[in-house]
Amino acid sequence: MQEPAQIGSRKARPEDLDDPSWAWAPYRPDGRRPWSLELAAHLYRRGAFGANWGELEHALADGPELAVSKLLRPKADVAPFNRAYDAYEKAAAGSADGVPAWWLRRLLETPHPVLEQMTLFWHNHFAITNARVKNPAMMCRYLQLLRRNALGRFDALLESVLDEPAVLICLGARANRKARPCLDGARALMEQWTLGPGRFSEPDVQGAARAWTGWFVSQDEAHYIPREHDSGAKKLLGREGDFDRKDLLRLLLEQPATAQLLVRKLYRWFVSETVSPPDALVAPLAADFAKDFDLARLLETVLRSNLFFCGYRQKIKSPVQFAVGLVRALEGTVGTVRLASDLADLGQDLFQPPTLKGWAGGQCWINRFMLPGRAKLAEELLAGSGPYGAKLDPAATASKYGQSAPGAARRFLVQLFFQGDLPEETRQALLNGGSASDSLRGFGGLLAALPEWHLA
Amino acid sequence: MLAFSPVAPGFLGRTALAAAAQSQDRDSVLVVIQLSGGNDGLNTVVPYEDDAYHRNRPTLRLTSERVLKLESGLGLHPEMTALLRLYREGHLAIVQGVGYPDSNRDHEAAMRDWHTARPGETLTQTGWLGRAIDRACKTGQTDVPGVFLGPIPSPFGLQTEEAIVPAIKSSDQWLPAGEWAAASRLDPPGSTAGAPAGANPLPEFLRRATLDASAGAARLQAVRQGAAARGTDGYPDFPLARTLQSVAQFIRADLGIRIFFAELGGGGIGGFDTHAGQAANHGALLRELSESVAAFLEGLRRDRLLDRVWLMTFSEFGRTLSENGRHGTDHGAASPVFLAGGGLKGGLVGPHPSLTDLEANAPKFHTDFRRVYATVLDRWLGFDSLQVLGRKLSPLDLAV
Repeated sequence: MQEPAQIGSRKARPEDLDDPSWAWAPYRPDGRRPWSLELAAHLYRRGAFGANWGELEHALADGPELAVSKLLRPKADVAPFNRAYDAYEKAAAGSADGVPAWWLRRLLETPHPVLEQMTLFWHNHFAITNARVKNPAMMCRYLQLLRRNALGRFDALLESVLDEPAVLICLGARANRKARPCLDGARALMEQWTLGPGRFSEPDVQGAARAWTGWFVSQDEAHYIPREHDSGAKKLLGREGDFDRKDLLRLLLEQPATAQLLVRKLYRWFVSETVSPPDALVAPLAADFAKDFDLARLLETVLRSNLFFCGYRQKIKSPVQFAVGLVRALEGTVGTVRLASDLADLGQDLFQPPTLKGWAGGQCWINRFMLPGRAKLAEELLAGSGPYGAKLDPAATASKYGQSAPGAARRFLVQLFFQGDLPEETRQALLNGGSASDSLRGFGGLLAALPEWHLA
Repeated sequence: MLAFSPVAPGFLGRTALAAAAQSQDRDSVLVVIQLSGGNDGLNTVVPYEDDAYHRNRPTLRLTSERVLKLESGLGLHPEMTALLRLYREGHLAIVQGVGYPDSNRDHEAAMRDWHTARPGETLTQTGWLGRAIDRACKTGQTDVPGVFLGPIPSPFGLQTEEAIVPAIKSSDQWLPAGEWAAASRLDPPGSTAGAPAGANPLPEFLRRATLDASAGAARLQAVRQGAAARGTDGYPDFPLARTLQSVAQFIRADLGIRIFFAELGGGGIGGFDTHAGQAANHGALLRELSESVAAFLEGLRRDRLLDRVWLMTFSEFGRTLSENGRHGTDHGAASPVFLAGGGLKGGLVGPHPSLTDLEANAPKFHTDFRRVYATVLDRWLGFDSLQVLGRKLSPLDLAV
């Protein structure tokens, strides 16, 4: 990308990135790194699912400090919205396609998109799949738990996740008997959800599984049956004792590796997919996080940081972000049952991540079939007829902001989608190519097919 | 695929792209066809000289006058004349008695065993082909080593950890939308001249991916236009034939796909699960299989691609020796696997399973299906079967 001068200059110097106190300090605009429409859009692509024009203009006027605050703590009353959607979702949980469709509808409509970003983050972290659970109502309950705790405390989240019947079923831990401790579940807990790979031994897995015994799923609830708990002494992470599940979680949380794993995952989700951060950058943030596992504070630190704003365009949109971002930018709406199925074809089947590791993301999203698949989806979303109907209309969006003339509407869309961030030749070719009578819908489809639109 | 230097001008990028496409010419291709429902191996490769066969199948038996004779008292189902031709030409290998220890007779569980290649390990998260595909994917490249073509949901055998395997429901689904081809022209790779080392690689990756995908789709379109000019191109009017015609087009368009997965018998009523009134249904399915595969191989031969392709069939289990009183057969165990293509030693592989030494009324296996997998992975695709299957199994001697 031929980055416009002001974007290039906002790059941090290499020596800055090695200095954690600079990296995690809040970004303060200055002459060298001014606040801009591009950075406002960056904030919304990562913290939300993209911005509409009104949100961009407000964020630009607000400056980074206030813009981040508004994202994290929106003025709108979020609770009634989520309560209503919780009810819709539950009512639709009889069918396997109802639950993802309602989540997508919530992503399109929510006044608190950062909460949904974090909910999706947790779905990708505690990546259980309905392909194995085969119970949409349980999956719905699991997701609502993730959402309730998404910005709460990680220790509480972890403990309640292990109480979810869907989670136990997916781990093959429906019956965690004293005589048959569930090694796979214990391994997943340590490898995927807390310590990370290589941070524990096989005897630790056995100790953890034994500590976890006694937990069962019956009648769609998790229950603890004391006589099935192995109360013998266990060795676990260098300790020895009569550990139960509570002790196990405490020991896992005490390990610095757990907070570090989460900080690294959060970094990859929100900051950059192109470089893995050095330990020196991760350690101080992880140490602060480990004090109380407050996720809201951790996320706020990340979103305000110098480092966050240095991660400009260093991430590839997931299919969900690709489509939801398009619809949110244009302030329209589309049918989400069909959308869920199209997104599954593009590799992101909500409630069915490929493995316990979640979606690999990054460059894995893109291949020679998925690019035309994305272009086709954008074309259908914008078509004005067909499976997605007519409620997404770029001309209506442009005229809402006073840009009704054909040339002005095109300039508006380019600005809305890319701000100043497009090679100059491309911008000129876009604005001068075609004839004024070509539909703005087709022009929107063209913009969504440009390589840049896939960058988050 | 060559890695593009971020400073390569656009035209160099395109030249390199063409060169890379040509270099894939020698890559071998595997086409897997799943026969859903449990194919009756005994009426597919018929032991027509065996008394036990005739005794146990009073209404379904195929007599020596009807079968298409191979050798050793074995004959193909009479609807498979096209496969008989391939057999005689040396392009068909029939691996007999394929199965696994303590094989499952439940459709879903048995199919899962074949898909994971880890029988009984219910928590396995990936399929055997999915693992092969993940290992064949390289960061920064946009080739997809495997695709599924068919009207049913993508089979678990293709389940990957990382790569996204396209499920192609109709063959024109991935042709370029006008906007998208235009987008690759509007914003071509190589415009990052002078970008500092260590700069964000993603914009250039996406530009190259867009151009690459657009070029591949243009090749596919050219192939399809050529094919349209040739009418049916010798393919019969079966859904499987149309799917295999698409496979042939994908191969000719050089899209870097090494593994194709297609399916016969699912998505409708019963498929190969012939519990009642088996004769007509089974014959029709075998005819569709036989004629579709033969047309596919004939097309490959015409396009001089036959030596690059192996095709393999499998089913979750065979069926019982004896009829069930409803002119059908029930879930069994071992059954034959067909391999067809160039670069293959044709003929019968291994003996026909005994009809007197049975396992719950069905022929026992003597060749573990994972040995067949190891064969296609090691000897044909050139993938390390140890990595994909998690254990080393001796491959069959099938490659020329």
